[in-house]
Amino acid sequence: MAGYQSVNPNHEGDQHLIAAAHHILKLLGAIRNLSDDTRKLLADLDIHLSIMTGNTINNGGEAIEVEKRLKCAERMVLRWQANQSMIWDTGPGEVSEFLGAIDEVQTLIDSFSGVSVNENGRVRELLYRANNIVQMAMLRLQEELIHILVHHKLYFEPEYVSFHSCRADVIYDESFVSLEDESVEASQRVSNTGSVSGEYIVDLIHPQVVPDLKAIANAMIAANYDQEFCAAFIGARQDALNEYFFVILELEKFSIDDVLKMKWSTLSSEIKKWNWAMKIIIRVYLTSEKQLCNKILGRFDTVCSLCFVEIAKATFLCLLNFGEAVAMGSTQPEKLFCLLDMYEVLDDLLLEIDSLLFEEAGSYIRIEFHELLRKLGHSARQAFQELQKAIAADSSMKPLPRGGIHPLTRYVMNYIKTLTIYDDTLNLLFEDQNMEDTHSIVESETEQDISPITFCPLACHLRSITSALECSLVVKSRLYREDSLRHIFLMNNIHYVVQKIKGSDLRIFFGDEWIRKHIGKFQQHATSYQRATWCSVLSFLRDDGHCSNSVLKTSYKERCREFTNAFEDVYKIQIQWCITDPQLKEDLRISTSLKVIHAYRTFIGRNRISDKHIKYTVDDLEKLLLDFFEGTWRTLRNSRRR
Amino acid sequence: MPATDYQGSFLGRISIRRNQVMSMEGNHEQELEDLELFQKHVADRFAELAPPSPSQPSDDIPSDPILSIAWIRKLLDVFLCCDAEFKAILIMGRDPSQISKPPLDRLIPEMLDRDVKALDICNAITNGIEAVRHYQKLAEIAVSALEQRPFGDGQVKRARKALTSLITAMACEDKDGANYTRTWSFGRRGAAAAGNNKSTGQLRSLSWSVSKNWSAAKQIHAMSANLVAPRGAEASGLALPVYIMSTILLFVMWTMVATIPCQERSGLATHFPVPKQLVWAQSIIGLHEKIAEEWKKKEKKGSAGLLEEMQKLDKLGQSLIEFTDSFQFPAEDERAEEVSAHLAELGETCRRMEEGLVPLQVQIREVFHRIVRSRAEFLDVLDLNGKSSALAM
Repeated sequence: MAGYQSVNPNHEGDQHLIAAAHHILKLLGAIRNLSDDTRKLLADLDIHLSIMTGNTINNGGEAIEVEKRLKCAERMVLRWQANQSMIWDTGPGEVSEFLGAIDEVQTLIDSFSGVSVNENGRVRELLYRANNIVQMAMLRLQEELIHILVHHKLYFEPEYVSFHSCRADVIYDESFVSLEDESVEASQRVSNTGSVSGEYIVDLIHPQVVPDLKAIANAMIAANYDQEFCAAFIGARQDALNEYFFVILELEKFSIDDVLKMKWSTLSSEIKKWNWAMKIIIRVYLTSEKQLCNKILGRFDTVCSLCFVEIAKATFLCLLNFGEAVAMGSTQPEKLFCLLDMYEVLDDLLLEIDSLLFEEAGSYIRIEFHELLRKLGHSARQAFQELQKAIAADSSMKPLPRGGIHPLTRYVMNYIKTLTIYDDTLNLLFEDQNMEDTHSIVESETEQDISPITFCPLACHLRSITSALECSLVVKSRLYREDSLRHIFLMNNIHYVVQKIKGSDLRIFFGDEWIRKHIGKFQQHATSYQRATWCSVLSFLRDDGHCSNSVLKTSYKERCREFTNAFEDVYKIQIQWCITDPQLKEDLRISTSLKVIHAYRTFIGRNRISDKHIKYTVDDLEKLLLDFFEGTWRTLRNSRRR
Repeated sequence: MPATDYQGSFLGRISIRRNQVMSMEGNHEQELEDLELFQKHVADRFAELAPPSPSQPSDDIPSDPILSIAWIRKLLDVFLCCDAEFKAILIMGRDPSQISKPPLDRLIPEMLDRDVKALDICNAITNGIEAVRHYQKLAEIAVSALEQRPFGDGQVKRARKALTSLITAMACEDKDGANYTRTWSFGRRGAAAAGNNKSTGQLRSLSWSVSKNWSAAKQIHAMSANLVAPRGAEASGLALPVYIMSTILLFVMWTMVATIPCQERSGLATHFPVPKQLVWAQSIIGLHEKIAEEWKKKEKKGSAGLLEEMQKLDKLGQSLIEFTDSFQFPAEDERAEEVSAHLAELGETCRRMEEGLVPLQVQIREVFHRIVRSRAEFLDVLDLNGKSSALAM
């Protein structure tokens, strides 16, 4: 077509040239064994030359030739118009015949271009006719296009692409209760599958019909029916995407109002769905859709990118708006993990979004996704700060019975343990924050530690969280009336914190120095406990008179009895207390036992107290000490009375 | 009227003045002056949007017709300017505790609730503009077909097809705002093929909806339900700017809903709960009355949306269909010339839509983000006061 530039052959030289060309064509046409294609090409040239030389078409044989061809094409188009079956269903022969006819008419129209139709009535009439044929043919092509798009669309099941739904759920509860350690132990990060988008291309249209679609696209765009092509193509593909979105993935649309009013449990499950849908839709579906557009419309850059953006726009906006709504909502600490999940999912997909919406047409949506990432990061940071506030604000007025592990301690430790899964993201977010505002981090460790991780922003934040927790625990411990129980409580909780840190990835964030210091802390509480409980009890057994004069004066028998009473009092109370960690319990019992038994044995041995005055033998006492900290109710008389 | 022009100078001035007066005890007078200025600016800005009265010959610069794309863009600019000034008055350099005192402790949460509803309306309108772009494309097909010279049966048929689709699509949209069908399947076979799946149309409308059962008319109603002009002592305090800004927000959202195809508009209120004697509101009330009148006509007549360009498409589309109906080959040149004026106008309308719709969409997004930001700023202030617990949903 490009070669058919019409010129007005005014110069004599041109006229001669054209006449010569005519002659050559005639000679060539006389050759017998020409292929049909070649013969047609020669005829085309001949017609074109005639048009170039002016009005000869009026009565020349060429006009008849043109008319003949138009008639032939017209007949074919009309024949199909009467036929209910689809051309592309009928067979490849019919298809190429039909496309050939269109091509022929198109060639004729093109060759008329530049000829002044007002001067040439015959040409004008032919042109009308040709345009009419094209119009009918295009209408037909559009129908064929829709038919193929609708009947050959393919869907992939979401299971087809398994994204290892990042990590096991950790269920958080605002009341700081009900968080079992096990649920977190089980949570492990499964690394994301590689982000090479090439892996995820699926067929959204049967590959067999892609060349057909391409042929229709070429024909329609060549005839300047690109708008009609786009309307049909976009419409059909949008329908397919909608069906995938709403029917196959069973996703729902929410208004921002809906999302903000959603119950937390619903919201968190919708967020999980979003994460999942983002990956499937952006990484697989839309990437494949873009590929499909490229295959069909690769030759027409602008049409191609326009079609893709139009097809995908509503879905992009829907996903975007849900993210916006979540980022707008409140930032209670339990939302942090959801926010971080969303952040990581989006961060991971951003490159793909960028390449999908690379062209101008979708650029504003692309920018919005970048903005959404920033907002999610901001919300995540806020949720993190909310945790610190929540720890400080947790002020129950009743002491935890039996001095065990406070739910807050469990909550916070499991919470931050889960946080380490997101270390890269969090470090990034906290670094950004430090750049944004000069928010100083509460704690500044001065020791020279080996691992740089110990000084990363996340580590600093984690330590500030645990120190907030410690403060809160100290406040809570003051609720106990007995000093001993206060120490048991703190020992238990700090030991729990240390164990959690030692036994997990948290270790490197806190560093050995920190751990040593805190082991020292709970040991200190163990010592303090012993002092608070046993000093007065054992004072009955002391011989040296350092304790008190009055004690010295009472008879050994009496002192033994008083010791027994004091021991029984302690026993009654402290068997109810609780040390959940078996090792810690064992350690404390042994060291208590050493102290008490040693003092008792020495006392009995040295003072030769006869058995009848002794309520408990040394062995009895040892056994009784085993009941301590079991968190049980037991009456002494039934069990071990002699 | 770029939004930034206003903001820069105004915010600067306010903050400088605040810094000066914050040290002093009573800055009440300053505040009154700020409020007065705010009202004046609101009045001025909306006065500029009012259509020139017929008695008053318009200046040499022709103004954009009311409810045209360009006019709506101006309206949104005005909104952004007013919002910036509003925040400057209410938040900048102010002791946050003032905001948590009655009546603001009630009014601001109400306003934030309105903001959320406005966000959903923005999204619905963004979707609606997609429908308008679809109409534009159909009109463009008709224009490019009829502009071809010489035109014969082929072009006329092509144009007719596109125009019929255009008119049907606009009428469908009008009948049921939730279901603006995109008539992309032109032919009988295509339609049959697409029709195989009955839920297709439903899904399509769902994809462009805000959410199931969402209704723009209801949102507008909810936004206006608790909007009451402050009285007595409150009328000169900070309750006033909150009321003014809420009124502006309501007006802007209402106008967009009335103008651009939008999910579920039936029952859209035409009552505007603003007392007529308020000076700053005169232009807004005037505009509202005018638009409400148009809306009532539209509801009766069942014509397309109020968007000026859409009305043009409707009118010109109808007349060109008439032409194509009576067209006979060969074309009478006089007849062809007759429609060329209409054609040129349709082409010009399409051009304006091409130029304006995407920027309008982007601007609505800007409004969206501005509302999100303003809301967050207010929540932050309330949070500082420790009042957030009741608010943050």
